[in-house]
Amino acid sequence: MNEEIEQDWLDKKLHEAVPYLEDDGFTARVMQRLPRPQPRLQFLRPFILVGASAFASALTYVLSDGGRFIIVQMFKLTTISSVWVVVFALASGMLVMAGGILAAMAKERSAPMLDSA
Amino acid sequence: MELTDAGLVARVLVDDDQHAYGELVRRHQSSVRGLLRQLTRGDFALADDLAQDAFIRAYKNIRSFRGEAKFSTWLYRITYNCFREDARKRKELVGINEEQWQAEQDPQTVDPALRHDLMQALSLLPIHERSAVLLCCQQGLSHDEASRVLDIPLGTVKTNVLRGREKLKKTLAAWTQ
Repeated sequence: MNEEIEQDWLDKKLHEAVPYLEDDGFTARVMQRLPRPQPRLQFLRPFILVGASAFASALTYVLSDGGRFIIVQMFKLTTISSVWVVVFALASGMLVMAGGILAAMAKERSAPMLDSA
Repeated sequence: MELTDAGLVARVLVDDDQHAYGELVRRHQSSVRGLLRQLTRGDFALADDLAQDAFIRAYKNIRSFRGEAKFSTWLYRITYNCFREDARKRKELVGINEEQWQAEQDPQTVDPALRHDLMQALSLLPIHERSAVLLCCQQGLSHDEASRVLDIPLGTVKTNVLRGREKLKKTLAAWTQ
């Protein structure tokens, strides 16, 4: 029992021996020494995405008998009722809007953190 | 809502977001610098230089952080490695900087005389016992986490903590009575 008390006392004193250290420009000095992020990879990102999409499209076209399924689907699209077309357009619009709002909210949330850093 | 350490690491990884890394530095600077001040026996300038090196090394190697342990544990490991490499170069020539240590402590929390004795007792411990005691008893890491940080078996950590504690208790016996 006495040993436990001694142990707690020792741990407490060890904790207290190191108070919270104020930043005093330490973070800023670290940030100055960080290597800059490589912009080349960021710049390549859209090209990689567009290239991959084009390649996937070409592959699909070749494997789907010259894109015959597109003609079939387009034909089907012309046969659906105009009500469904409106519903589809509305749903798509709302989906895109929701995505935009979420992205804006995420950006807003991160703003104070970026400022304080 | 404040992001977790894991969330900030994800931002650094996905977006190369240096502001997110800045937030991580700000969160952990006190504990890393505090640990290094103790490991270097009160050499504040060296401790801050090593802390900067540790944070920069952590940034460069952040892709190797797989989230299996807490970010702080991973960071402590890098910090300890920085200290160990430097200590090897210097062969532990750093002495305790008593005046600076006393000047920067908060006088209201610990009796200055007790702090002096505590620091002295800590500096007398061999480096492996001092590191284990500081990580487990002061920084609050579990034995398992300390074993990862120090890269030694769990049993060795327990032994080092036990021995270090015993020595500290003996040295500070007068204060506990």
